[in-house]
Amino acid sequence: MAKEFELNEVEVWDGNYAASQALRQAQVDVVAAYPITPSTPIVEGYGSYVANGYIDGEFVMVESEHGAMSGCVGASAAGGRVATATSSQGFALMTEVLYQASGMRLPIVLTVVNRALASPLNVRGDHSDMYLGRDSGWIQLDAFNPQEAYDLTLCAFRIGEHLDVRLPVMVHQDGFTTSHKAQNVTPLKDDVAYKFVGDYVPVNDMLDFSRPVTHGAQTEEDWHFEHKARQHKALMDSRTVIDEVLSEFKSLTGREYNRVESYYMEDAEVAIVALGSSVETAALAAKQLREEEGIKAGVVAPRCFRPFPYDLIRETLDRPTLKAVCCMDKSAPGGAMGALFNEVSAAAYTTASRPMITNYIYGLGGRDFAVEEAKRIFKEQKAHADAGHITTPIQQFSGVRGPRLGFFETRRG
Amino acid sequence: MSTGVLGTEKRGIRELGAEEKVGWDEVTRGVVLNSFEGDASNVAHQKAEERQYADFNSYTATVASWRIIKPVYNRDICIDCQNCWVWCPDTSIISRDKQMLGIDYDHCKGCGVCVEVCPTNPKSLLMFSEAKEQEEALAEWPEKKKKEKK
Amino acid sequence: MAITSVKNLKEFSTANDRFEGSHLLCPGCAHSMIVRELMNATDDNLVVASSTGCLEVCTAVYPYTSWDTSWIHIGFENSATAASCAEAMYKARKKKGTLPNPDAPVKFVAFGGDGATYDIGFQWLSGAMERGHDFTYICLDNENYANTGGQRSSSTPIGASTSTAQAGTHSYGKTQKKKDIVAIMAAHGAPYVAQLAPNKWKSMAKGFQKALETEGPCFINTVSACTTEWKFDPKDTISITDLATDSLMFPIYEIINGTELNILYRPKNIIPVEDYLGAQGRYRHLFKPENRHVIERIQKDIDEKWEYLQRREEARV
Repeated sequence: MAKEFELNEVEVWDGNYAASQALRQAQVDVVAAYPITPSTPIVEGYGSYVANGYIDGEFVMVESEHGAMSGCVGASAAGGRVATATSSQGFALMTEVLYQASGMRLPIVLTVVNRALASPLNVRGDHSDMYLGRDSGWIQLDAFNPQEAYDLTLCAFRIGEHLDVRLPVMVHQDGFTTSHKAQNVTPLKDDVAYKFVGDYVPVNDMLDFSRPVTHGAQTEEDWHFEHKARQHKALMDSRTVIDEVLSEFKSLTGREYNRVESYYMEDAEVAIVALGSSVETAALAAKQLREEEGIKAGVVAPRCFRPFPYDLIRETLDRPTLKAVCCMDKSAPGGAMGALFNEVSAAAYTTASRPMITNYIYGLGGRDFAVEEAKRIFKEQKAHADAGHITTPIQQFSGVRGPRLGFFETRRG
Repeated sequence: MSTGVLGTEKRGIRELGAEEKVGWDEVTRGVVLNSFEGDASNVAHQKAEERQYADFNSYTATVASWRIIKPVYNRDICIDCQNCWVWCPDTSIISRDKQMLGIDYDHCKGCGVCVEVCPTNPKSLLMFSEAKEQEEALAEWPEKKKKEKK
Repeated sequence: MAITSVKNLKEFSTANDRFEGSHLLCPGCAHSMIVRELMNATDDNLVVASSTGCLEVCTAVYPYTSWDTSWIHIGFENSATAASCAEAMYKARKKKGTLPNPDAPVKFVAFGGDGATYDIGFQWLSGAMERGHDFTYICLDNENYANTGGQRSSSTPIGASTSTAQAGTHSYGKTQKKKDIVAIMAAHGAPYVAQLAPNKWKSMAKGFQKALETEGPCFINTVSACTTEWKFDPKDTISITDLATDSLMFPIYEIINGTELNILYRPKNIIPVEDYLGAQGRYRHLFKPENRHVIERIQKDIDEKWEYLQRREEARV
């Protein structure tokens, strides 16, 4: 029987430690892992809980991240709770198996500490790895600070393991800015947290010898499409369960989470849409601009990156006051608009207000995104709003040295 | 076939690949297939005819159409050595209580391994055209061969 | 553990098959002979993982499975990881008391072809062996990527013609020697490592039982004659395998705890490797005068290896 871990009412935890405590409180049965900066402390934490009797689980240090996710799939099919952590190159290496985990409908939880993808090699935070996972069939939740990393990791087990969902879930946090930033975190007591997460309910358990099951069969053109369509439907339908679990978490803790978070949007004329720790930066900038210059700035932040909340994004953007929106993508888009720009534009296209939408690529490889820059971007949106058309190229770069990069222009209002 | 043990249970009813391509509801979550209906805890101690195979079990399908030649079994010569049983790649030699009973023609692909490994003289298994009747084949069975000195 | 008697074939034949027919393997494929024998060698529950390859694509094509035990396939490279981490979950649930059948005996087994074992899954296998899980890995070694149409692997022997190491006017086929996977696995310090062949059914069944009984990671390389890519008549699978073991192209031996080597089969009459090579289409070109030297080389390698194995056995180190 695992020992209880003494916790203060308020702890000072960084994002990594917060996530590892959530894995402990969920009493994860198997963690198969491979270390990579900046996510390593999460699995180190799990290992230390096992070593000191705080978890009755198995910590399997495998030989690669591909092995880590492979091990998670094997362990999950064997009917217990499974989680791991990774970043960047490790995430890229496990990509093959991410698709297999979701196709096999195994509710693994992967805590991803977002980091840039090489080349050039870089250990700092951007969203390249998170974006790489966006077609993998996983639910992707995004935490903006250590408290959220803790809270959402607990919620992830509930969501993924829900019998109507049974899909793997990623909980993202930003490398270093969140993972290594110590902040006040209010944890739940062990028994309260475990009760919220609940006992693991095995489905198609390989260790139930009364019912032998075959996992990972092959499907060709006669069956594959229905399987993938049903999997997609399950992912889309998981929105209801996500809302339920977040609402239950609010009743338990008072901490409210939504698939789309918004700040100062009630009467906003200009907005930034962003992910991760930049959301807090943008929200602070919006608050200051309102106070200092009377610019009605707001922030929209998808909490749930997959399934993408087209419904709530549309709702949030569909207000007559809103004129200009900037979507901030922290990942090199590789010859396209940023993913957030594409998704948000699609959601906004059917709104009555049809705000002008532009795209910034920013923060690559951990380049700082400060309040002043957020303010500048808000003001640029205000200029679009005042002019009645987009006054800059649609896609620009924020915070990069050299010539001012810009792609595609429009005079349309 | 006069094996007696495989007459009644669900087996060999579907041509492989010819099963009804139903649509949406038959697609199992996560592509998981269960091998049996009901409690199968004791399968390692059950003969095929005692098991409750699920429709997903390939035991319920047939690959008979792969064959152009088939092995025919001659009980009169067989010494029940079980060579054919151990080396059959298609689980198609029916042995019960250390006795060879016959060939499972729903699962046999006609590879001919059983004939090659049969040690009797003449062999107790021989390959014939798929179209050949069992009685006809038995009537054509060769005589004992004299040992060739090498 | 509950083992099936392998005293003689009659006893063995009372085992109840848990690998079903109407799988899609080629007629005469040795894979299924080996898999059947493994599953018939024990009464225990099995959790089986298969790498992508002939065995996997032929035994679990929706909506059919040929497996009467728990079975999982993830990818080409990771059956060792799948089986070993299922075993980790077994331990975790045992501790916690959440196993549905806590007293039921279970064995964890991973299968991979030589492509999955010698090449693409080499790292995953090595990792699982090093971690010391209680499982058995069985390589179905048919010396090529048969599932994709017969490309060379690092298990393909020198001189064999494959679609990516073709014999032609300027080539005698593969120019590199087969990787010695058994030695590599023994070097991991695995408690039981063996090379076995289905024609020698008894030593194979006993080897399987030893591996399943031995606690810790065990590895068995099995020769799996491939009618399609070695190019011989399907009925000859066992006779070709006889030639493989009797020419010592595939010596049958085990290594216990990384050191103690035992030869499990000594042919009464060792046949020249020419007899083995000549029976298969993939070596046909070696009989041209200009390629004869390759046959000599293969024979020399075999003789040296046999000498080495015998000396290792004698030395007990």
